[in-house]
Amino acid sequence: MEISSNGAETQPKFALPVDSEHKATEFRLFSAAAPHMRAFHLSWVSFFACFVSTFAAPPLLPIIRDNLNLTATDIGNAGIASVSGAVFARLAMGTACDLFGPRLASASLILLTAPVVFFTSIASSPVSFLLVRFFTGFSLATFVSTQFWMSSMFSAPVVGTANGVAGGWGNLGGGATQLIMPLVFGLIRDIGAVKFTAWRIAFFIPALFQTLSAFAVLMFGQDLPDGNYKRLQKSGDKQKDKFSRVFYHGITNYRGWILALTYGYCFGVELTIDNIIAEYFYDRFNLKLHTAGIIAASFGLANIISRPGGGILSDVMGKRFGMRGRLWTLWTVQTLGGVFCIILGQVDSLSASVAVMIIFSIFVQAACGLTFGVVPFVSRRSLGVISGMTGGGGNVGAVVTQLIFFKGSKYSKETGITLMGVMIICCSLPLLLIYFPQWGGMFCGPSSAKTATEEDYYMSEWSSDEKDKGLHEASLKFADNSRRERGRSVHSQTLPSNATPPANA
Amino acid sequence: MAARVLILSSILTFSCFAEICYGAVSFSSLERTLVVTASHRQGLLIAGEDKITVAWGLNQSFPAGTDSTYRTIKVQLCYAPISQVDRAWRKTEDHLSKDKTCQFKIVEKPYSNTNETLEWTIERDVPTATFFVRAYALDQHNNKVAYGQNTDTKKTTNLFDIQAITGRHASLDIASVCFSAFSVVSLIGFFFAEKRKGGKGQQ
Repeated sequence: MEISSNGAETQPKFALPVDSEHKATEFRLFSAAAPHMRAFHLSWVSFFACFVSTFAAPPLLPIIRDNLNLTATDIGNAGIASVSGAVFARLAMGTACDLFGPRLASASLILLTAPVVFFTSIASSPVSFLLVRFFTGFSLATFVSTQFWMSSMFSAPVVGTANGVAGGWGNLGGGATQLIMPLVFGLIRDIGAVKFTAWRIAFFIPALFQTLSAFAVLMFGQDLPDGNYKRLQKSGDKQKDKFSRVFYHGITNYRGWILALTYGYCFGVELTIDNIIAEYFYDRFNLKLHTAGIIAASFGLANIISRPGGGILSDVMGKRFGMRGRLWTLWTVQTLGGVFCIILGQVDSLSASVAVMIIFSIFVQAACGLTFGVVPFVSRRSLGVISGMTGGGGNVGAVVTQLIFFKGSKYSKETGITLMGVMIICCSLPLLLIYFPQWGGMFCGPSSAKTATEEDYYMSEWSSDEKDKGLHEASLKFADNSRRERGRSVHSQTLPSNATPPANA
Repeated sequence: MAARVLILSSILTFSCFAEICYGAVSFSSLERTLVVTASHRQGLLIAGEDKITVAWGLNQSFPAGTDSTYRTIKVQLCYAPISQVDRAWRKTEDHLSKDKTCQFKIVEKPYSNTNETLEWTIERDVPTATFFVRAYALDQHNNKVAYGQNTDTKKTTNLFDIQAITGRHASLDIASVCFSAFSVVSLIGFFFAEKRKGGKGQQ
């Protein structure tokens, strides 16, 4: 297996500067150069489309609830269903990415869930409504393929940024849909359709958008900087891994479980708010559908800068303080998100609610970006499974939160929001327990044991048999590239990251 | 008390954005001076097809001059209690600006001192629910000053059921099925195309 040397023979191949794994070390937003930036644009647009579809119903609920004769319980159940499908879909997607590559995995899921969005137009009862929302929600698993794809295309210095921008701009769909759907509905109704028909026609827009984005991914996308999985596996450049081993090393890593829980209380909260906020403003402040949609949209629209901001912040803190900086920032930002959530449930006036909601959205979404600044380092072999667990945990958080606080008429929405804030603060505490032997944790420094290096950590995922076969090579490269997570003061004492890999490779 | 005043003034201020004029009145302070009746055919009424004949007028047992402040009459279709269960967006509140009981306007016209009737075709955006009819008398500032309804105070008598339109059309159904089939078939098509290309890889 060749190890590419730094120099002219590999550089001209890519439009962006790359590391030894051919991952880009720079993130140029306004470029669409293949393969790195093109993958970025394809992944965020297709993920955006899935978010638009999944949350297309909430802004139109005031119409749908009358057409389908829904009760508050029916609406709550459908909201829970919309985010629960993705819990296991995300985990399955993570594994599929590890095995088949993000391009095929995501495009397949998107094209298989598009029919359900089309069928939303035919829904005629609370049960059918719940079913379409449940199956549409599966498409949110494209989040995992997005993060996986970005982690495969972008190197450590920019992986937080790439993940944050792709994730954030995809999540934007949850906000954009609150604007798009009432607008499309209004247009169709003004053309002459009756309310109860107009909303049905409106659903064709997200469905078509979803289908077209999947086509684009299939036609223009590529799994890795060097090519697609199938071709690389055939030529021997990428080893085909075993599902059982990949899965095992993912689920036995306790950090994956902690991140799954904490992600449930930043991203899960974001999903919950996407489901309830339009109705909250419509009912509590007696606004018009259109106005409630605009306000609700501003929550999701903050994603355009807040989640990428979180990713960038993670990279900045990682550069200066290493992994410990990333963890501290994540915990601080997420806890502050919880504080603002409590305040949101308490304020009584419309303008104060909108202001607090925007601040709250910035913190909560930045926490999502910060989480995925940590995830790429938890495992190299089982990156997909860890991403899937974390992503799935996000949806579990949404399910649990909606079940406890927003189902039926037990709590008023205001009280539910306040209690959700308290839960955010409590469920962010486990971050204190994350520890990497080579980098340390929030309260402990790195271990001084001889076996506490990046190589030891990532090689522990491979057995000696597998190492004999040379299956671990990619992980070795990654371990070397991840040495920057020690932070600037320590890093300057070790080899500079652009040097050739150490002799034991 | 200060908080209530603050809430009230906020609601009044922002009501201008919502383009609805709220009067600071509670329902229990209104007098039931109007007599309202609603008649319709037997059975379940269909939205968009069936008609309701509404009649309203001043209750003659009230002294003359009771209706001196009435300028407009607003007749509305209102939800019966059974259709409000587990639906907070239809809740009855005493404070009129927060009350969501009556959401459909049958007619709004200048008040006249005679008994009036109207034959109203049930509009197609009325949902499936149980209803009654209520009429409000408004003064020159558009504040509600009196009311009447075709049911009793507990809203248990003279209720009627309306069945909404589904909103579905055959053309919509067909389009949904066709587009869905198209997505799935194209996915299968892509897989075949990839297999054909044999491990050449896609760019």
